[in-house]
Amino acid sequence: MDTNTVIKDSLNETPFAIVVVANLLKWVLLIGYLSIALFPMLWLGVSSFKTNFEIETSPFALPAVWQFQNYVSAISVSGLHQFFFNSIIVAAIATSFNLLVTSMGSFVIAREKFAMRKTLFTIITAGVLIPIVSFMVPYYTLITRLGIYDTLLALIITYAAINIPISTFLISSFMTSIPKELEDSAEIDGCSFVQRYWNIIMPLSRPGLVTAGTFSFIYCWNEFIYALLLTSSRSARTVQLAIRFFTSQFRTDYAGMFAAIVLTMIPTIAVYIFFHDKIISGLTAGAVKG
Amino acid sequence: MSTKRSIVFFVVVALLFASTSLFAGGRAETTGEIVLTWPSIWVGQDSKADVMEEIVAEFNEMHAGSIRVIVEPQPDYDGYEDTIRTRLAAGQAPDIFTFKLSPTTAAYYGGNLLMDFSAELAQGWGDNFNQGNLQASTIGGATKSLPYEIGFTPIWYNQDIFNEAGIDRFPETMDEFWEAADKLKAIGVVPTSQMTGGTNSWTSMLWYTHFLGSFGGPDVWERGFDDPAFEQAAAVLKRLYQDGNTTRDAIGADAGVSGGHYQAGRTAMFINGAWYIGNIRDNSPEVYRATQLAPAPKAGNYHGHQVGWLHTNLAAAHTNDPARREAVIKFMQHLTSPENARRVSLAAGSLLAVEFEIPADVELDPLQQQFIQAGNEAEFLIDHMEASMPVDVVYELGQAIGAMVLQDLSPAEFVDMLRAAQ
Repeated sequence: MDTNTVIKDSLNETPFAIVVVANLLKWVLLIGYLSIALFPMLWLGVSSFKTNFEIETSPFALPAVWQFQNYVSAISVSGLHQFFFNSIIVAAIATSFNLLVTSMGSFVIAREKFAMRKTLFTIITAGVLIPIVSFMVPYYTLITRLGIYDTLLALIITYAAINIPISTFLISSFMTSIPKELEDSAEIDGCSFVQRYWNIIMPLSRPGLVTAGTFSFIYCWNEFIYALLLTSSRSARTVQLAIRFFTSQFRTDYAGMFAAIVLTMIPTIAVYIFFHDKIISGLTAGAVKG
Repeated sequence: MSTKRSIVFFVVVALLFASTSLFAGGRAETTGEIVLTWPSIWVGQDSKADVMEEIVAEFNEMHAGSIRVIVEPQPDYDGYEDTIRTRLAAGQAPDIFTFKLSPTTAAYYGGNLLMDFSAELAQGWGDNFNQGNLQASTIGGATKSLPYEIGFTPIWYNQDIFNEAGIDRFPETMDEFWEAADKLKAIGVVPTSQMTGGTNSWTSMLWYTHFLGSFGGPDVWERGFDDPAFEQAAAVLKRLYQDGNTTRDAIGADAGVSGGHYQAGRTAMFINGAWYIGNIRDNSPEVYRATQLAPAPKAGNYHGHQVGWLHTNLAAAHTNDPARREAVIKFMQHLTSPENARRVSLAAGSLLAVEFEIPADVELDPLQQQFIQAGNEAEFLIDHMEASMPVDVVYELGQAIGAMVLQDLSPAEFVDMLRAAQ
């Protein structure tokens, strides 16, 4: 009798009431969790169609009249399209640059044997533990000394650098799980060091790269503190700063701001939907190694 | 097209599009022209945004070719403060900027970061300012920031609701206050708006300061937490959070919630500054028309005072370049001229440290007129906590109120929490 049969038999012996209760409990938990996860987004979506007065006085009610013009003002007041374009440029180039650098670093760390390899890996990835606000003064000083303050390049370089620890961790973890024999065969066939990296390891590491790239893209898209610190003009600012155009020291246009937030969420949700299977496989790489 | 080629194609297209944008930003300085950058919070939705834009544009037009002021929009105030702190820590103060002068930010006066305006102020420019405010902005004989906007926050109450509850005037003693609160509750209205959210528990911080002034007088902050006034005011604040004297969501609520309850007529009393007039006038005209202002009831030995403080000071980066210094001074003098101060005040409802006359033919907003009257009638002004205590104490206030109410801490334990954060 194999294991599956044993499990099936034991399940068959479970009283019907317990199975029903267990199933019910499972669905209650899942639906409850789903509700908690989705509620803020649903609330945000509904609130983006309300007036400011309705948001402040009846935050959980449906709008009396659905205010579609909130979305028109979200775009016109903040000039959202310009900031969208800047965010796409910054997120795409910073992510590409980050993946190029970290994939090369991860290749060496994961596939080559040399002294202090693990120490180097630990030092690089320990960066995820350091709060990024602690780098504000050095980054500001560096960027102004380089003469690239208030440019998209300042954000690209900063974001690509900030994401090095997490990308290195994800990509090197994935690269470690690739069988060494593939590289050995390629080496016997005459592959150089660079060819092994580009032709053998990189294609096989695609899920890891997509995972790291998605995290990096979402970070670049959502980042606010450094965007505010390192830029000053509309021509160099990103979409998260556009959202703040609906607030001031004493007054907030919640309706316009919520509409703008909904619009800015679309790209990150799209990226996740498009790549979610690869993200999951990238994150679970090596988890079931026998 | 293969995936690899698609990625390469996308990156190339992005780079082509980006090539003009990558280095976008910055500022061009033409020969002989001095460019001054001003990271400003008075942009976007701010009530002073339009008039400030006009004032800067006029200055740039008057000095075309020689001085140009560029405004860097900083609509997020918390982010703005982080940015200014970082720039100052990096030793790179912006050409022109604003900050709240407090025991924490007074440290900016140290070293050679800020421009000292003392010499120019002594030549007559200083006469434009309220002398008390100018004195408060002078530390160690140096006036390294100019007093500009004054915060002033009397108690707002809804006269229609008071009438409905049978309360004929705003309470002047605490006994009258609690009696009025009971009458309001009897008609189903919550007496006060409170909040512990945000970075400073704004509404409740102001209630606390009002009662602190009543118990401790104008110099209570100087005497520190050992003064019994802090515990006495805490006891009143605790009661304001109990027995239905505030809304059930007050713990954790932010300024939107606190103001929203007042605007919706769910609460009868609230505290904020003149900058809130536009908000309530647009969103809730009936409550706006019914709103009256008052000082806090007499809880201790003092009565008739108001909470008022230097809300925004103007500052500039120190420079050894005489031409640059002259350009900064010219702009500051333009901005703080009585004429421009009047424009800002009338357009935005702000109270300013720059003195000016209002022509008889100018029709003021009735509520703004009440603010001016309340300011004139105040027995004395007391700074609020944020202007008087280190920022860590202000952050702790919300936690301390929450603990005092939810864990039933005593007022003494509440004060201990604040003292520990100092």
